[in-house]
Amino acid sequence: MLRITGGKVYDPANNINGEVRDVCISGGRVVAAVEDARTIDATGMVVFPGGVDVHTHVAGAALNFARGLIPEQHRQAAPIIHSRLRRAGLGGSTPTTFATGYLYAGMGWTTVNEAAVPILSAKHTHEELHDTPIVDKTCCVLMANNEILLDLMEAGEWERARHVMAWQVWAAKAYGVKAVNPGGVAAWKWGKDAKQLSDPIAGYSNITPGQIVAGLARLVDELKLPHPLHLHCNNLGAPGNVTTTLETMKTLEGNRAHLAHLQYHAYGGDDWSNISSASTTLADAFNACPNLTTDAGAVLFGNTVTVTADGPWQHLLYQLTGKKWANLDVENETGCGVVPYAYKPGSPANAVQWAVGLELLLLITDPWRVFLTTDHPNGAAFWRYPEVIRLLMDLDFRREQLKAIPDKVLKRIILPELTRQYTLSEIAVITSAGPARALGLSHKGHLGVGADADVAVYNESADVAHMFSYPRYVIKGGEVVIEEGELRNVVEGRGFVVKPAYDETVEGYLRPLFQQHYTMSFDNYPVAPERVHGLQVVEPAP
Amino acid sequence: MSCTLGEVKNRADLIIYWGGNPAECHPRHFTKYTIMQKGKYVPNGRKGRTMVLVDIRETPSAKAADLFLQVRPAKDFETLTILRALIKGRRVDAAAVAETGLTLEQLEDLAHRMKTCRFGVLFFGMGLSMTRGKHMNSAAALTLAAELNAFTKFVTMPMRGHGNVTGADVVMRYTTAYPFGVSLSRGYPRFNPGEFSTIDLLVRGDVDATLVLGADPGATMPQPAIDHLARTPTIVLDPKVTHSSRLARVHITTAATGITAPGTVYRMDEVPLPLRPPLSGPYPSDEDVLKRIVAAVKRKPAWEPAGV
Repeated sequence: MLRITGGKVYDPANNINGEVRDVCISGGRVVAAVEDARTIDATGMVVFPGGVDVHTHVAGAALNFARGLIPEQHRQAAPIIHSRLRRAGLGGSTPTTFATGYLYAGMGWTTVNEAAVPILSAKHTHEELHDTPIVDKTCCVLMANNEILLDLMEAGEWERARHVMAWQVWAAKAYGVKAVNPGGVAAWKWGKDAKQLSDPIAGYSNITPGQIVAGLARLVDELKLPHPLHLHCNNLGAPGNVTTTLETMKTLEGNRAHLAHLQYHAYGGDDWSNISSASTTLADAFNACPNLTTDAGAVLFGNTVTVTADGPWQHLLYQLTGKKWANLDVENETGCGVVPYAYKPGSPANAVQWAVGLELLLLITDPWRVFLTTDHPNGAAFWRYPEVIRLLMDLDFRREQLKAIPDKVLKRIILPELTRQYTLSEIAVITSAGPARALGLSHKGHLGVGADADVAVYNESADVAHMFSYPRYVIKGGEVVIEEGELRNVVEGRGFVVKPAYDETVEGYLRPLFQQHYTMSFDNYPVAPERVHGLQVVEPAP
Repeated sequence: MSCTLGEVKNRADLIIYWGGNPAECHPRHFTKYTIMQKGKYVPNGRKGRTMVLVDIRETPSAKAADLFLQVRPAKDFETLTILRALIKGRRVDAAAVAETGLTLEQLEDLAHRMKTCRFGVLFFGMGLSMTRGKHMNSAAALTLAAELNAFTKFVTMPMRGHGNVTGADVVMRYTTAYPFGVSLSRGYPRFNPGEFSTIDLLVRGDVDATLVLGADPGATMPQPAIDHLARTPTIVLDPKVTHSSRLARVHITTAATGITAPGTVYRMDEVPLPLRPPLSGPYPSDEDVLKRIVAAVKRKPAWEPAGV
């Protein structure tokens, strides 16, 4: 039992905005009052619900492929020294699994959503998540290029497609459905792409990317999954791609969707020499669509590695950078590309990207619908979130940073004109309350009675980057893990998995197809429930 | 630029094996994954695919090939580099071509096949990756495959063997960030092949004791490394008697994973497969033994000062 007393509590889900009050914890949950509890004096500190990352890549075959590709970056990475509490590891742009848990918790984040899992290698993803301590985990399964689903869509068999989708979510032990470059990655299996929503898809004759987007979003809503379709739109990264993004928003026809890393989908111009920010247009359209949420996918300057299921984009990035490139296509399901990358302020395209990530966070008016991410590790490593928070809260710092941007780029971005500064309460929304709500995790992201006792306590300070980098206390599931800024206790996280209702006979349909097109036995395909560490099954109401 | 084996089965119309002898070393490769299978987009199976074998000698795999190209030993890097030039339409030096043991016509024909296939795959074996040139050869093969993607779909994959070596590589990467050759002696992972790789450590005599798990270094490593294993305490966990267990101070008999113990094995394309034991046996699994060793070590007084 625990009482946190004297701190200013920021709990926007319960309309508490910097009020000095107690947070009481018992049995891993927030309770109304406790007797004879250990008391943490949080005077002079702020109390936040634990951070929730709605979109990150911290585990899985693709990320692990990336780890193998960048030993030169690991040599620069922060070492995590083995101790009686901690397993050895490395930080850097793709932290090792144990390090990932320590680093997230060390920043006050207690829940993460691994955003891209193929079913075929989901067992491996869960092995990695098993070795990622402290934080609770969810993951999204990749579906927009799943050939069994695409074949059903092509044949117009939507009813069966819904049962297959539900079966696949449970087979992967996933929490949500992810769509990456719908149709484009399937086309990449023939070395092609599908950039526009009406483009043909190599290997298919009827369906278009637009139909896949609309169809998947509808199926997810019909299955009443707690998290909407998690969508990485077509035409990522390309100058002028804002038109594709706007069209995608229309195509969704009022179905729910979470648009991942919107920064990468908000460019004007028509080639790399005149790429510009289109965040005003996009934010205006987004503000008018209450069915949508998004995350920033902000970029920070420095070295990182890009990892995505968007195979054709990564091939283009390889041709642009001439750097290393790894590609790993997953049979019948998805692709994956890895390219190490350095974002430089002197590069006009990178400078625009840096500005657009911040612009979207500043221009989207409802903080409940836009969340803090860097699409880790694509825009920057997750442990750099405090830098983004400082850029959002501190106008003077932002103006200082703008001095590094080339003059010719300043005309193509609107960041210099924006004067909005985030409040602490708004930061609590975009880092915790909002993403928890978007994920449908009703017991996360707030400090009301009954909520999971995931709490971050920060020293209140004018230097917000420092403040959010080094929480004074972090409590996970009622256990104090960070105390006086040090890791003092390592607890296990849980895995939230959704089991949507489906017709069991769908297995009879899948089995022969599977034996024909895959290279493993059908019975070996689904992830056994025992493989998910701390399994928590969520069953949506039918 | 790789893929899982099902992509090869469903799409590949050009399959190249280089420096490997799958007919004898990976006998199920042809039948389960590559040339013999009918695939979603290769409905005619073997008839719809072309198989090219590149090696320094005519192995039994050559019988399965449509085209066998015999390169001179230690000329793989040169041959791959000439192919890279031909693919880009560059002129190549006749003397350099002559050294490979192949004619310009043969190389041009192969380059043409690579550029014009629908989906090509290059599997490379230890005849490429472990002979003179080593990682430079592998790098040349990977670069060739990467560059071919400017023309068509092309992937490449090493033909890995030795039990669950891929699984070991995968787990090392997510726990330490590196695939092999890792030292934890400073409390965090450091990577330096040649310094921290097993053979080098043993040959230099840098290690006091060795734990051998799922491997038989006594059968495969150079003699000075084996001598050091015999000289120092070596502990072997293995279901059977091996060269290594014979020279070990301690041999703990463990259950055979997949026969009497469950587990997970990673295929060469990094796809994990669950193993379900059909039999039960008297021996503990590797995992059980290691957990008991770890627990026993934990009971010893800590070397670290309190509070670290």
